[in-house]
Amino acid sequence: MKLPRRNFLKLSAAAVGAVSVGGAVTLTSRAKAAPAWYTKEVKQVFSICENCFWRCGIKASVVGNRVYKVDGYKENPKSRGMLCPRGQGAPAQTYDPDRLKKPLIRIEGSQRGDGRYREATWEEALDYIAKKMLDLKEQYGPESIAFFGHGTGDGWFVDFLPAAWGSPNAAKPSVSLCTAPREVAAQYTFGRAIGGHEPIDWPNTKYIVLIGHHIGEDTHNTQLQEFSEARKNGAKVVVVDPRFSTAAAKADRWLPIKPGTDTALLLAWIHVLISEKLYDQDYVEKYTVGMEQLVAHIRPYTPEWAEQQTEISAEVIRQVAREMARYRPKAVVPPTRHTVWYGNDTQRMRASYILNVLLGNYGREGGFYIAMPPYLEKYPTPPLPLEPAAGGCSGPAAADKEPEGYKPRADKGKFLAKSTAIQELIEPMISGQPYPIKGLFAYGINLFHAIPNVPRTKEALKKLELYVAIDVLPQEHVMWADVILPEATYLERYDDLVAVSHKTPFVQLRMPAHEPLFDCKPGWWIAKELGKRIGLEQFFPWQNIEEYLDTRLQSVGLDLETMKSMGTMVQNGKPWLTDWEKENRLPFGTLSGKIELYSEALAKAGFDPLPKYEAPQPVPEGFYRLLYGRSPVHTFARTQNNPVLMEMEPSNSVWLNAGEAARLGFKPGDYAYLINQDGVREGPVRVKITQRIRKDAVYITHGFGHKAKGMTLANGRGASDSYLQTRYTLDRISGGAGLRNNFVKLEKAPPPKLKSVTQLIKERRA
Amino acid sequence: MTEFYGAPNTGEFWHWTNALHFVLVGLAGGMALLAAILTLRQHPERSRYVWLAAVLIVLDLFVLWAESPARWRFSHIWLFLSFQPGAPIWWGAWGLAASLAATAVLLLKRWIVPLRRIPEMVPGLVLLVGSLVALAYPGFALAINTTRPLWNNMMLFIFPITALLMVLAIALLIGSTWAKRWEVLVAVLSLALLVAYPLTLQGAAREHFNHEGLMGYGIAGLLIALAALLFRNPRWGAALGLAGAVGLRWLLVMVGQFQSPGL
Amino acid sequence: MARLGMLIDLSACVGCAACAVACKMENQVPAGASRLWIREREVGTFPDLAVEFRPEQCNHCENPPCVPVCPTGASYQTEDGLVKVDSAKCIACGACVAACPYNARFINKNGYADKCTFCSHRLAKGQQPACVETCPTYARVFGDLDDPNSEIAKALKAAKRFDVLRPDQGTRPKVIYLNAPSKKGLTQEVSNS
Repeated sequence: MKLPRRNFLKLSAAAVGAVSVGGAVTLTSRAKAAPAWYTKEVKQVFSICENCFWRCGIKASVVGNRVYKVDGYKENPKSRGMLCPRGQGAPAQTYDPDRLKKPLIRIEGSQRGDGRYREATWEEALDYIAKKMLDLKEQYGPESIAFFGHGTGDGWFVDFLPAAWGSPNAAKPSVSLCTAPREVAAQYTFGRAIGGHEPIDWPNTKYIVLIGHHIGEDTHNTQLQEFSEARKNGAKVVVVDPRFSTAAAKADRWLPIKPGTDTALLLAWIHVLISEKLYDQDYVEKYTVGMEQLVAHIRPYTPEWAEQQTEISAEVIRQVAREMARYRPKAVVPPTRHTVWYGNDTQRMRASYILNVLLGNYGREGGFYIAMPPYLEKYPTPPLPLEPAAGGCSGPAAADKEPEGYKPRADKGKFLAKSTAIQELIEPMISGQPYPIKGLFAYGINLFHAIPNVPRTKEALKKLELYVAIDVLPQEHVMWADVILPEATYLERYDDLVAVSHKTPFVQLRMPAHEPLFDCKPGWWIAKELGKRIGLEQFFPWQNIEEYLDTRLQSVGLDLETMKSMGTMVQNGKPWLTDWEKENRLPFGTLSGKIELYSEALAKAGFDPLPKYEAPQPVPEGFYRLLYGRSPVHTFARTQNNPVLMEMEPSNSVWLNAGEAARLGFKPGDYAYLINQDGVREGPVRVKITQRIRKDAVYITHGFGHKAKGMTLANGRGASDSYLQTRYTLDRISGGAGLRNNFVKLEKAPPPKLKSVTQLIKERRA
Repeated sequence: MTEFYGAPNTGEFWHWTNALHFVLVGLAGGMALLAAILTLRQHPERSRYVWLAAVLIVLDLFVLWAESPARWRFSHIWLFLSFQPGAPIWWGAWGLAASLAATAVLLLKRWIVPLRRIPEMVPGLVLLVGSLVALAYPGFALAINTTRPLWNNMMLFIFPITALLMVLAIALLIGSTWAKRWEVLVAVLSLALLVAYPLTLQGAAREHFNHEGLMGYGIAGLLIALAALLFRNPRWGAALGLAGAVGLRWLLVMVGQFQSPGL
Repeated sequence: MARLGMLIDLSACVGCAACAVACKMENQVPAGASRLWIREREVGTFPDLAVEFRPEQCNHCENPPCVPVCPTGASYQTEDGLVKVDSAKCIACGACVAACPYNARFINKNGYADKCTFCSHRLAKGQQPACVETCPTYARVFGDLDDPNSEIAKALKAAKRFDVLRPDQGTRPKVIYLNAPSKKGLTQEVSNS
């Protein structure tokens, strides 16, 4: 049987035709591999990331009203062309359907915390706030309003506005809940701040000792880059941490130290360097005072003594000290950042700096460089009644004398340092001592996930007569405010210029990628509009932010238009001692003009002039010490509603030593409640059964355990370390709140009844 | 202890709709084979089976189209505009298409005069070849994934044999008594394969199978055993055998998507 | 023609997932799916421990099992070694998803199979893939394995040992791992997925 020839030919011709048509279609469709946004009209603007306080310079790729991608750029000394995971995922917050969209005023008669609000216009909301502020000023004085905040806009709300208004009670959590001990210790040792971008010359260092410093989980961009560079260049790494952190996984040695005993280890290292004469004698002679007193003081702090305290063998302690000495001055013990651990932290930092000085690395390659601020003038305004009191990451700022007619800050006298301690400003809201604080602005700061003793904070909020929250998301503390002002996110606004102290100091610009969505306004606008209404108009003489920025930039020979095309302006620095010595100067701002190993100033104030060791509070029977830290994909308590970052890590977990887990009967996949020494309960949180932590401590990453119903992805996931930190130990030198004297026990918990993050994301869109 | 940031795509990629397709394609291919054999042997019941085959093929193709996330792009045309001999699904598309065309010729002969000139042998042979391809390809579509240890070479036998079990069971249920001894034979063969299959699994694959599939597998096996044993009541036997084969195919498709997630 | 590949140095990688997030954003990867993820493995007992941080994605294999199983030819290999999907031809049958030993593929909700493309849209403009550009630990190197002057070829040449995932599958992957933790008792097999 044969197919008729005609039919066969017809069939094959059709086949050939089909194939050639197919070929043509194929060619064009291969071009369609790009993501949809990439093929459209993409604009790029320079901006500054806001997903942590490193504030890397970014380029935002925007199509219409949406930023699809952000990248670093090479000219910016922070990002240098790369971004960390938080930075990459940050734009998702701008398009989060849960974000605040309109000003809200709490419904008359409702309680703070009920969450009952009505929408308002900006005029109404700002008038309401202004009237209340003026009433409070009349009744109690301008100091009765406290200003808390952190973020790039905190310049307006925590530095400028309170100083213009006349309130010394302005505080940033980054001081007493983070860097205060290391900043104050640095001021009393070097007469210089450490600053926000830790001034370590990573690429040239050969021996790095990290104390707690969990680089890798802490993804501060440039630090991570430079740490990697250092390792590629053959630097050795020693990690001192009760937990086998990511950094420990990259280290040549891991010292699983008993929590709270780091000062003993530092003192023992100082002891070895001195007793074996391994320290840099020339450096010490040239640049320091107090060596004699140190030599006498250090005698009892032997490695054998330290072994008893730290549970690290004296042999290892000696080996590490000798290794440090072999590589000096390119051996460094970086200052870390969050240093409020046990309440004696300023002295621990003093010991750390003394050790670095003995290695001769301060102001030298491979050690600490000397960070200079960039030259940039302020916008000319009438003189402010007060100096900004909040300090911020660049060290104590305020003078200690109040001008005529103004009250001192409400926490004065509780500790030595001159900057405010945010957690010490809560008590006056409750007790009215030393004078009442009746109003509060919270800009960006997460009151319940930053300040310890959350029940006390809630009690304080209930007693206020005015509480204003300026934020981007409906965080739990935001939904307690009387007035909620929705700020535009970082991609939608200008901010003040960011000036960064550095090897090569620089100034960065943030410009909006598109207009603010919804009815949100940038912080500068809110500050100015509020200022007009509370009698501070003269302090806002500029018409708009463009004029403000343009004027400031002219002081460095630029203008706004040029800066928009550059993003970053880099200046020369003076990073090394030799740079200063060329000018016959030294960079030390101490009374003696030199590095003070022995601190006369501390002695005069009634504190130990040389660091002593204080044993940590013991862990109660049946409890574990609660340790906490960072996740590489999350920032504080701000990213747990970010869909992209939540898909990376939807919850935290509690790290529990495998032996302890077996003893308590926990199996992989189990959940637990964490109950602290005061009976506060958090969780359920998944138990991570691991070998990577000691038996006397547990560890969770910070920022979870949200109780914010309006944040659909974050609500109810994981456990909050902040809620469990009902106690803190006040560091009487720096005002820092030591948070690691809280203890928890674990109880079995049922798995939480939560939808998956993916499911919620899909539902939200619909 | 392994944790992730983000997650590998380990979720199921074939859902109940695909499992349904694996059942329907077995019915379609098997029925097409019966139709081919009956046609080639000029059996009096052949036109009934040709109808059944056509309906089942159309049903299967419709389900395939309807469950495809690409249904409105009509990219399925590319199945027939490309040559992909390494792809079992490509073979399956052609096998089903050829079978459908053959059944169309056989059925439409009555009304379309030019078709009457084609002797039944021709579409019958095409249907035979097409149905064999359609019967073979599902097993290949699973077994070709060497990375999925539950879909080993046993699939090449289990799927065609259980497909035949399903259609012979249906044949019995619709009254074709000639089907009885074939149905029992195929039931026995299926049972033998069922017993052998778990023995071919090791390690993590065996663990996963025990954990996720043992109960369902046991039930399916029981039903098929009953199909083999119920001589006295062949209709019941057929019904149970049909159920067992359907369940078995469904289970293997769903549980077999497992691959070791790595250490 | 080139033979494009990716080198990942596991001694540098800290598992921060910057690459995974950059990929999610750049390529608008839908919720619930991943082109790139990080695997973190802990080995040993206290205090002798090691942790491996390992990014995983499509390996753009030289012998990809996902290409021959595609019934429409939508899954194809380019001359320079990329494995891609022509979404216009894809019927989302999932055969390629089933065939991949690395869980690299998924069905995009817009109706086609999807996975890492080595950011071919960026390569076309002379840029690096998004994951390579953003990595803050310099762990990733991308380039032409056949070009002896390329950074990747030189790094491979200098390496004492490198690993790929599941070499038993015969796929010849082109994502190559350097410095899998080999201290503390880990062996070569352990790094084979």
